[in-house]
Amino acid sequence: MFGPFRFTNPLSGGLLWKIPWRLSRFQKLRQRRRLRAVDNVVATLDEALAKKGETLKALERWKAEMPTEAQMLPKDKYTLFDRSAKRYRKGIHKLPKWTRVSQRVNPPGY
Amino acid sequence: MPGWFRITLYRSAIGLPERTHGVLKALGLRRRMQTVFHPVEPQFAGMIMKVKELVLVEEVDRPKTNWEVKQERTPEPGFYVEKPAPRDGGRVLQQLRQLGNVKAGEVDEEVRL
Repeated sequence: MFGPFRFTNPLSGGLLWKIPWRLSRFQKLRQRRRLRAVDNVVATLDEALAKKGETLKALERWKAEMPTEAQMLPKDKYTLFDRSAKRYRKGIHKLPKWTRVSQRVNPPGY
Repeated sequence: MPGWFRITLYRSAIGLPERTHGVLKALGLRRRMQTVFHPVEPQFAGMIMKVKELVLVEEVDRPKTNWEVKQERTPEPGFYVEKPAPRDGGRVLQQLRQLGNVKAGEVDEEVRL
């Protein structure tokens, strides 16, 4: 029960990583800030180009497809689709480089 | 008057695809918090769009030199001495003033509690 040879999960099974299955509220706060920062960059580009009467294919596509932070559901801000996960959702922090990539929409039908 | 993009690298591209590194190099961004200026043109907007998660962008009237950018975040030289504030936030002093014991001019060390 006690002592150096007790049967805890890391000792009996070897490597045990404890990654929480959901984000903490502080992680969620920072995630919202990052989403808003990207929204700001896109809005700045859009305004600056609109003044000159120019536009950009990538910009138009982003505006047509991607919701802004305010339009997104909490579900889409903090989780993403995964076909192998239970109920098809997993935490967005499982996505590699999740703080530096844009992941906002779901596959069609989900 | 052409506008300019003021672009600051806020997040590093370490571990991101080689293309992302290339875009940052093309923009002239080498280290975090470095600021560069580029004219408002679709080609530069497209490059910013590629790295929009990593940069902070503003539209400005004219580009600043590196020296001017550095001056923005350099504090004033020298120092100034702050006067100590009364410990109770000045409440007793106010009451004394209301009672007429202390005139506005003679607030000094004697009254500090």
